[in-house]
Amino acid sequence: MFQLSSTPIIPPLMECARAGGFVTFEGRVRDHAEGRAVERLTYEAYPEMAIAEGTRLLEEAKEKFGLLDSRVIHRVGTLEIGEVAVWIGVAAAHRREAFAACEWIIDQLKHRVPIWKHEIFSEGAGVWVGAESVPLEFGLLTQRQELLDEIGPEGQAKLRNARVLLVGVGGLGSASLPYLVGAGVGTLGLVDPDQVELTNLHRQVIYSANETGRLKVDRAAAAASRLNPSVRVETHALEVDGSNVDRLVSGYDVVIDGTDSLEVKFLLNAACRRHQKPLITASIHRFEGHLMTVLPDGPCLRCLFPTQPHDGCVGTCAQVGVLGVVPGLFGVLQALEAIKVITDFSDVLTEDMLLFDLKSLQSLKVKRSLRDGCEGCAGIHHPLNLQVSDPVGVVIDIRELDETPQLLISHIRLPLSRFAWQGWTEPVTFICASGQRSGNLAANLREQGHSQVYSLKGGVERLNSCF
Amino acid sequence: MKVTVRYFAVLRDRRGLDAETVECPEMTSSQFASYLIELHQLGLPPSLVRVAVNSSFVSDDHVLGDGDEVVLIPPVAGG
Repeated sequence: MFQLSSTPIIPPLMECARAGGFVTFEGRVRDHAEGRAVERLTYEAYPEMAIAEGTRLLEEAKEKFGLLDSRVIHRVGTLEIGEVAVWIGVAAAHRREAFAACEWIIDQLKHRVPIWKHEIFSEGAGVWVGAESVPLEFGLLTQRQELLDEIGPEGQAKLRNARVLLVGVGGLGSASLPYLVGAGVGTLGLVDPDQVELTNLHRQVIYSANETGRLKVDRAAAAASRLNPSVRVETHALEVDGSNVDRLVSGYDVVIDGTDSLEVKFLLNAACRRHQKPLITASIHRFEGHLMTVLPDGPCLRCLFPTQPHDGCVGTCAQVGVLGVVPGLFGVLQALEAIKVITDFSDVLTEDMLLFDLKSLQSLKVKRSLRDGCEGCAGIHHPLNLQVSDPVGVVIDIRELDETPQLLISHIRLPLSRFAWQGWTEPVTFICASGQRSGNLAANLREQGHSQVYSLKGGVERLNSCF
Repeated sequence: MKVTVRYFAVLRDRRGLDAETVECPEMTSSQFASYLIELHQLGLPPSLVRVAVNSSFVSDDHVLGDGDEVVLIPPVAGG
């Protein structure tokens, strides 16, 4: 018998005259996970499916180990440290089968049953962990999308491996979230310090009226897990600022800006430049909005707005009003851009800004380009033409020793696998095959205080094609 | 010369119009933005307003031509 319980578990008395071995197991909430202090845990289940899958699991155990009785009670809701989260009891003719079955059941349960836990860390962040591999039928979740030639199994695998950071789960973020999760994005990071308010609900439709006063990141994580139990959601209940933006951005593959703060938008733009991460940014105003995608080598927000505007100069939704559909549409378009970026579509809004007025239904794509002297791009867009005017300094090829072709300019070869900073006089330019590894290395070194380290955009392929 | 101007977001609100045709002497994109902001009291520093001409953002010293379609885009903050 497989049960879910929202109250503390009272272990049932098991009786069976034919059984000589009774084994019980208690899984309890421990005070740490992944090296971090845990304050408490929340379990949420997809009840119908959890009970169906749990019952199936116990039937398999009965068959496999010849069990005479087996019971599982799993807690749902919020649990404090030390509370029993899961209780398992099995009875078999002999102890050996009983021990083996009990262990098998807990392993399988964690693996298969759609119950996910939300670990809340002492510093306020949290992580939602679903079943490690969800029941087979969840493969169907993205089946219609995999039928598209542009996605296919390959694109689906990219989505599954992708880590997307959603900054803000308000109007824009809460609209992109369901489509990212539905598309099978493997890991979502959610950043928002706010709680759900009634005035949010006309546009932030993933929340419900009975969730007011609760943290948006937690309720958004629960909504994500309900939709696709295999998603991993990392929650960051905090305001993005200069002290945390690098840590947040560097941990993800794609960043979606759904904030209503100009200051945060420019912080994200700068951090995405430093860490070579794509940024999908949108902003809305009453009935209209705009959207653009900033790729590591494309024009950035700062290329467009050289002077950073300050919050308050143009009004927020709270001040000027907004129709719920407007952030809804732009959030969905942001999810679309993210899916395109992850699965390598070529037609992404990287050199355009899309302006869309939903009142008149007029849209306009405006061409953007890199701006010489852009502070946001400084040091990131190192000119390709290495041998002439640019101060490239020491050139270091960080490809592994078996990688070809040979670099055609004078350089030092120091494979990334054995890389250590060797006190070179800056500037230093790193080169790899495509510019990806060298970009990451330069970004990391900048974080460590090396201000004049560069990466050659396009890598050896681009450079050698110039000769 | 004559140019068509389209306003976006807060500029649309403050001007009370989606678009209009403006008669003006030859000038650069940034002079044109400053001129309209001043004329209609649009309440934003010209340095914050981006100008697109015929569907491309242009630099401040871009000289407007007769018949151009000019789009004025202010920062937008809502999310």
